Amino acid sequence: MTQKMIAQVPRHGLKLTQAADVKQPSIHLAADAVIVGSGAGGAIAAYELAAKGKTVVVLEAGPYVPSEKFTEMLAIAMGTLYQDHGGQSNTEGDISILQGACVGGSTVVNAALCFRTPDYYLQQWAQEFGLTNLTPEVMAPYFDKVEANLHIRQNAPHETSPGAELINAGLKKLGIPPGIAKRNIKECGLTGFCFAGCVSDRKQSMLVTYLPWAVAKGAQLFADTRVTKVLADEGNARGVEAEVVDPATGRKKADLRIDAPIVVLAAGPVQTPLLLLKSGLANSSGQVGKNFACHPTMSLTAEFDKPVDDFHGATHSLYVDKYTLPEEGGYLLLNAVQDPVEASFQVEPGTGKPYVSYMSRYRNTIRLITLIHDKNVGEVGWTDGAKAIRYTVDDADFESMKAGLKTNARVLFAAGAKRIHLPTSHALAIEGPAEIHRVIDGLRNEPSRYRYTSFHPQGTCRMGADPARTVVNPKGETHDVRRLYVVDASLLPTSIGYNPSETVYALAHYIADQINAPQA
Amino acid sequence: MSDLNRKVHEALAQIGRMTRRDFIRFGAAVTSAATLGSLGVANAALAALPEGVHVMTESEHAVFARLLAVMLPTEGSRLVPTTQVPVMQTLDAALLATMPPHLLEGLKGGVKYFDEGPIPRYGKRFTELDDAAAARFCDEWANAPEAPHRALAMGLKKLVGLAYWANPPTWVPLGYDGPVTRKWGLKSLGNAPMPK
Repeated sequence: MTQKMIAQVPRHGLKLTQAADVKQPSIHLAADAVIVGSGAGGAIAAYELAAKGKTVVVLEAGPYVPSEKFTEMLAIAMGTLYQDHGGQSNTEGDISILQGACVGGSTVVNAALCFRTPDYYLQQWAQEFGLTNLTPEVMAPYFDKVEANLHIRQNAPHETSPGAELINAGLKKLGIPPGIAKRNIKECGLTGFCFAGCVSDRKQSMLVTYLPWAVAKGAQLFADTRVTKVLADEGNARGVEAEVVDPATGRKKADLRIDAPIVVLAAGPVQTPLLLLKSGLANSSGQVGKNFACHPTMSLTAEFDKPVDDFHGATHSLYVDKYTLPEEGGYLLLNAVQDPVEASFQVEPGTGKPYVSYMSRYRNTIRLITLIHDKNVGEVGWTDGAKAIRYTVDDADFESMKAGLKTNARVLFAAGAKRIHLPTSHALAIEGPAEIHRVIDGLRNEPSRYRYTSFHPQGTCRMGADPARTVVNPKGETHDVRRLYVVDASLLPTSIGYNPSETVYALAHYIADQINAPQA
Repeated sequence: MSDLNRKVHEALAQIGRMTRRDFIRFGAAVTSAATLGSLGVANAALAALPEGVHVMTESEHAVFARLLAVMLPTEGSRLVPTTQVPVMQTLDAALLATMPPHLLEGLKGGVKYFDEGPIPRYGKRFTELDDAAAARFCDEWANAPEAPHRALAMGLKKLVGLAYWANPPTWVPLGYDGPVTRKWGLKSLGNAPMPK
């Protein structure tokens, strides 16, 4: 098939088809490749395949929200840009699992923090999962490539926030080395609204990079289009069936069928396994949807005597990874600015006047996040026709969280905090450094006791050499169905303890190269 | 007009200028309620089901409204009075209306369970408790040995809190200035050029 080439990337916006553009009740297209999802993995695969002359169709379930429509209000962004309007959680309801659900996926609403996959995990994946192809030497050029394409740079000295400056001072007092954030942001406007989408297109999300590039190479992009079934016969991918849904009414506007010999799944670690399970494909191992991990986080909120105003600035400025590898503790600390909507539910000061008093001192607060490397103990599946994310924090992982919270609290007190609130269901605060161990040692791993947030679901179609233990082979193709690929964080055989976006970017490039390579 | 009141009114006016499309579901509640003006909202709150509330029932509204009053007693504080904020409309249109049906059904059951929760200990429903007892009940359930009690206390308060704080006028007394890109004149960098 011949790919129609468009010479120029437009200065702004994306050429695509939305539900409002669809007039006929049924659409039937043919392409070389159909890609399900337009986030990190899908956009990169679309560009790489289109750049090699393949006809590519990208199907995104979420809406197209151009950056000029972003409101810089988190509550509204949750409703328009996030999965389940920001309400996605585990079945216990105590872990908020946040994912983008719009054209560009989570890259539109993440904080742009990038880390290369640590060699530690590449080596572990080689030893335990047979991924001997993903050596640090093989992966290095892929990291180089995405860092160049997405303008991934270490924060300049001015790219910080008032809270980060306090935390940095605390780290210095304690002799803990800070890590300076690397982000895919160009000329950061320091608004602090990464989680609500970047109005001025400084964040180099897929919305302003790989998607317009892919479209310029001839890829066709549909928004508001949910894939309902992956098609295969005789062990070969054949295409997908989908529905175009009016986002305003929730009603189906058209059926869509794409015939394509290459199918690339990039719907994310929740939707990709759900789609495979619904399609009854690629699950001879029984591992589709299993091995879910999500890097649970808890934020400590520190109160200071004076206003800090930690709501504008770089969303992330610094981190502490001295204790991030499992043998060192298994936790990462990250600063982040916080708006009042988030602050309103992160802790429980007590009902009534204590809460009013606490929120009245919002300007005096900062938060420091503890993120843990967790075990792959969860599962994504269907229950009575509805998705279910069954995951509770493992007891050993909870001990890592407690260790992380202790370090977190030490840093905040060293930074000058007068009181620290814990993200528990009940009112719990630490009034001084001497109380840290007593209070945190008293925490028990119980459901619905803590206010967890996860930005990093992963692991549900894990990659490996053994078809009995893994879903996807070392080249990104499912063991069971030829030319059916996965290019999102479902692939990760273990959690990696760091933000996984750059890992996904690099793996998507690597797998796109395997797709483009001559087939035996 | 005090400086605080002026800023609150400016924020309300700003919301009124935003288009319905900007808000989609969330803003629909905020915009329609904000254009009523604070008096209209306050009057509406006295009705069994205020204008703009379609998903919750009268009894569910009574629980949420009581929880709002107990959770956010703004009298004597700098915070915007809850009667001047379309909390119930925001909760209904932005949060409840967007829930998948099975979750909404579970929530409705949870609201009823929460309302009946104090009966064994207090001999009254949550909606019948006085302020002090109602606050005490919320704190007891937040620290209860039963996970569903903790989940409900935490979850219902989160919903009500979100519906209050999502309204920009509530930010003014906190000293939070909200969106800044346009105010600061930051220009869009647009799409990145194709890599070479």
